[in-house]
Amino acid sequence: MGKSIDYNAVGLKCGIEIHQQLDSATKLFCACPNQLQGTREPDFRILRKQRPVLGEEGKFDEGMLSEFLKGGSVIYEGYYDCTCTYELDETPPFKCDEECIDIALEICALFKMNIVREMHVCRKNYVDGSVPAGFQRTMEIGYDGNLDLKNGKKIGIENIFLEEDAARRIKTQGKTSYFRVDRLGIPLVEITTTPDIHDPEEAKETAYRIGLLLRSTNKVKRIIGSTRQDINVSIAGGERIEIKGVQKLDWIPELIHNEVIRQQKLIDIKNILNQKSISPDDIRRDPVDLTKIFQKTECRFVKAGIKRKEKFVGMKIPGFHGIFGTEVLPNRRFGTEVADKVKVIAGLKGLIHSDENLLEKYNFSPEEIAQTRQKLNIQNDDLFILLLASGQALETALDVIVERCKQAFIGVPEETRQAKEDGTHVFLRELGGEKRLYPDTDTPPILLSEDRIKNIKENIGPYPWDIIDEYAKKYNLDPFLVEDLIMDGKMALFNELIAKYPENPMLVIRTITDMLKVLHREEKNINTLKPSHFHELFAGLKQGIIAKEAMLGVLRIWTDFPEISLKQAKKKMGIKTTDLTKLDGIIDELVQKNMELIKTRGRGAIGPLMGDLMKIVGRGAVDGKVLSSKLAQAIGKLISQGNSTSANEKTKKKQKTKKPTKKISQSPKNNPKKTTKTIKGEK
Amino acid sequence: MVEEQDMKDYSGYKPNSVAIMKKFGVKLWYKIEILSSKGTVQGVVLPRNKFAPDGFVEIKLKNGYNIGVPLDKNTKIKVIGEVPPMKVSFDQHIQPKNKNLPTVCLLGTGGTIASRLDYTTGAVIPAFEPGELFTAVPELAKISNIETEVVYQLLSENLTPQNWLELAKKIVELAKTNIDGIVIAHGTDTLSYASAALSFLLKNVSIPIVLVGSQRSSDRPSSDAALNLIHAVTIASKANIGEVVVCMMGSSAHDYGFIHRGTRVRKMHSSARHTFRSIGITPLGMIRDDEIKYFSTEIKPRDSKNRKKMECWSSIEEKVALIYSYPGMKGDILDFYLNSGYKGIVFAGSGLGHLPKTMYPALKRAYDAKIPILMTVQTLWGYTGMDVYESGRELQDLGVIPGKNMLPEVAFTKMCWALGNFNEYEKIREVLTTNIAGEITSGESMNGFQIFQGVEHTISPKE
Repeated sequence: MGKSIDYNAVGLKCGIEIHQQLDSATKLFCACPNQLQGTREPDFRILRKQRPVLGEEGKFDEGMLSEFLKGGSVIYEGYYDCTCTYELDETPPFKCDEECIDIALEICALFKMNIVREMHVCRKNYVDGSVPAGFQRTMEIGYDGNLDLKNGKKIGIENIFLEEDAARRIKTQGKTSYFRVDRLGIPLVEITTTPDIHDPEEAKETAYRIGLLLRSTNKVKRIIGSTRQDINVSIAGGERIEIKGVQKLDWIPELIHNEVIRQQKLIDIKNILNQKSISPDDIRRDPVDLTKIFQKTECRFVKAGIKRKEKFVGMKIPGFHGIFGTEVLPNRRFGTEVADKVKVIAGLKGLIHSDENLLEKYNFSPEEIAQTRQKLNIQNDDLFILLLASGQALETALDVIVERCKQAFIGVPEETRQAKEDGTHVFLRELGGEKRLYPDTDTPPILLSEDRIKNIKENIGPYPWDIIDEYAKKYNLDPFLVEDLIMDGKMALFNELIAKYPENPMLVIRTITDMLKVLHREEKNINTLKPSHFHELFAGLKQGIIAKEAMLGVLRIWTDFPEISLKQAKKKMGIKTTDLTKLDGIIDELVQKNMELIKTRGRGAIGPLMGDLMKIVGRGAVDGKVLSSKLAQAIGKLISQGNSTSANEKTKKKQKTKKPTKKISQSPKNNPKKTTKTIKGEK
Repeated sequence: MVEEQDMKDYSGYKPNSVAIMKKFGVKLWYKIEILSSKGTVQGVVLPRNKFAPDGFVEIKLKNGYNIGVPLDKNTKIKVIGEVPPMKVSFDQHIQPKNKNLPTVCLLGTGGTIASRLDYTTGAVIPAFEPGELFTAVPELAKISNIETEVVYQLLSENLTPQNWLELAKKIVELAKTNIDGIVIAHGTDTLSYASAALSFLLKNVSIPIVLVGSQRSSDRPSSDAALNLIHAVTIASKANIGEVVVCMMGSSAHDYGFIHRGTRVRKMHSSARHTFRSIGITPLGMIRDDEIKYFSTEIKPRDSKNRKKMECWSSIEEKVALIYSYPGMKGDILDFYLNSGYKGIVFAGSGLGHLPKTMYPALKRAYDAKIPILMTVQTLWGYTGMDVYESGRELQDLGVIPGKNMLPEVAFTKMCWALGNFNEYEKIREVLTTNIAGEITSGESMNGFQIFQGVEHTISPKE
């Protein structure tokens, strides 16, 4: 992070919005499964065109109108077996799912919300096509709650809404957007905090705590994309800016920090402008066609554009000399801000302005610039912009530039921005005040009885941070391990297993977290492992059927053969042990066959030979790590011995294999130890 | 008087709510703060749906959401102020006439296509002022000059045969003026009844009479209203058709529209956009953008010059019943209609056009009283076949008239028309069994019956 800022002094105000998918069986308003279909090919595609609707004042919604005028269409992709006519807006909504309401009520209880006793489903219009109906169904379920931070500060939770997720964007081809409707209608809660957060780290902690609290219910989705967060930032004298698409908690402090700097810079610009003898009214939409001057320019893209019959237009911005070149974020100047807006709204590639090095950057000639300055009547304190465009795009771009320059006199314009990985963010769309909400005509109000609310309130568990403290103390564990259990949804399993095997809490945790990560990395399907497997495993451990070193091996076998018993799995491992006795022979043979390769490539031969070895042994039969270390050993030995491999030596080796048998037979026991160690290192 | 004022101040609220609201001087559109043991909440009082339960006040919160807050004896309300009621007004875009474009008359009868959302209560309200229409669908002005007239503002389940007759008279009147086609915006529920009735009631149709509806109101971005309207107006403007037709979306996509014959079309899905299907025949044609393609060669062509010769039958009979047959059905059903003075009965019979034996005595009574009984099939596709089984022959012997492949609803409107304009039983019997407006076809082609289930493409032909 850049220079330090006294956030209190600048009057930083932050609010957070978190969208969290619920892990219910069905979607919110239809009985389709609450499940994404990943990369599965859709069964059908349907083309739709959405029209802007007339709003309360009898005028079209501006955003929708501009989308419509672009002439775009949407193609919805769906499945016959897991999406229905509701998602495609061919059937009115079914009854709101009770399980979803219960989960939302539980979340409300955790945030100590007041509950709305009669929910009214509302429509929130969407202009991007991501909802086939053109609007999302959403309802307020709770208001005025709070969240405790570690230091005891309370952050207000303004609202919790229960709503439908939108369809997921697959691609955009020309003017057509493709959306997959498997995600459409998946229940979400939207949680909004009050703007009580005054420090970037506090914002991160708030987001983190909300996430932990949600996960602790064990009733929310955990996959990538199931939690999405937006942040709202403003400083004194600035405006509310919404930053969308914050994918990682770690981004939050830097995004806020950068936004504070940006708003400060924009306020500085405002002060500079207001000291000058110009006013917003001096910014006139007064474009001049400069195409003639640049007819023979050396600037390639301008030349090409003029050839395509586009216009090269200039416009004076009086008093703005130096303003466009002022940096507002690392590597982003005021000019970049204007250009971003032009890109998004008018669809142009960008704009050229006189705070840039026009000769070097664009290859314009001094004459061209001199003529431009003369034609536009540019004085020392003026700036000019150059645009290559035509038709509606040009008109829109000019409007955008004039408006943005006028806004510079006021300071920070309200807008929605898209977070980028480098901690900066770019213009996404105008914020445009409150999103219009309309009552949904297809659904009756939903009554929530006092008994129902009371019942859910009485049954919520302890707070996750209390659990972390309690478990860390009780079992002498690192608090982060307990936190992992909560985040991964393994708390219930841990409690069951620790009751059976209280001797070694660390082993229980490792088994249900780290060992699974190892198997997952080996590309084993760990979803085949059910709680019953772990119960059997720990029962076996207690009865001495297996040693703890064999646990990973048993789990590995169960991922392939989930139906077999512990004893059978153990037997299977035994089979592998005999396989292993043959292993040295196999490796030996392989090495002999590939003498030439080893001679030329030395240790570099391990890679290609490993592939062959895996084929011979069978993928997954033996831990890849064991194979590669053995192979490396054999090759290493060979290299160190020089190239002497007489028949004699061969027999010697073969004899030798008898001895290591014992050692190898122990290897499955030894292996897990090794693996666990590596993991420990990574932790 | 007091009641009227209450309707205005407490619209939709029930006694307990009204009592508490009155106690604190609260009325609709007041900005209030409600205090209870659970904290406070602020919002603007909204009108309430009259079917919603008592004991709540409905408010719009600052964040735009609507919620219902319970009212009880512990509730305290503070009035903060009053806001003007939300009202919808429209920019009136009156289009100047373009001499080079055809002229189409657009008649409004009500229904989803001519309605939109009341943004405060969520109710669907009629909206069909010309200004609003051109504001909402500006594309129409490029297709034709449009004259609009609101004939009814009724949901189509409330329209009656008498309304169809008035509508037919209106059409004849309009045909005397300089128009190229007529579009009737209609609720979809009974749209195919109206299209069939007009097909029978109008004589010498020589310009396109296009009925159109929509399955999603125009306040929804995904509405089919605009597309259907654009298609219908295009057909009325330039299609080479001199018949009553229905035009609605042909698939679930906002892509093309089908043109259906007014007497062979039926609403086949309660909510999907492509609900209207031609039964027993293919659609007459399709429209995509401004291009019309015909599937049928048997379309009565446009004859605009002779549009002034269009005429209308003089009367329609409303005492007609449409009865669905079912197992265990008894004659008392029919007795009821006969005793109530019904003049004609249409049955939707099982299979080839059958009724249970228990109906025979009542049928005999009807026959003796010269009440025409017309048989159609519940299967919708296919013909009555009342010579195939003994029971069919028995029914014919009791005077039941086989309706061939007339759709039940179409047969109903035909009966209304026939009874209104003919007196003698034998004559009525004759017109009922004669094809008048394409309602009876001499045969059914294989592609007239097609209900695909989306699995056919996975089935490979047998070796």
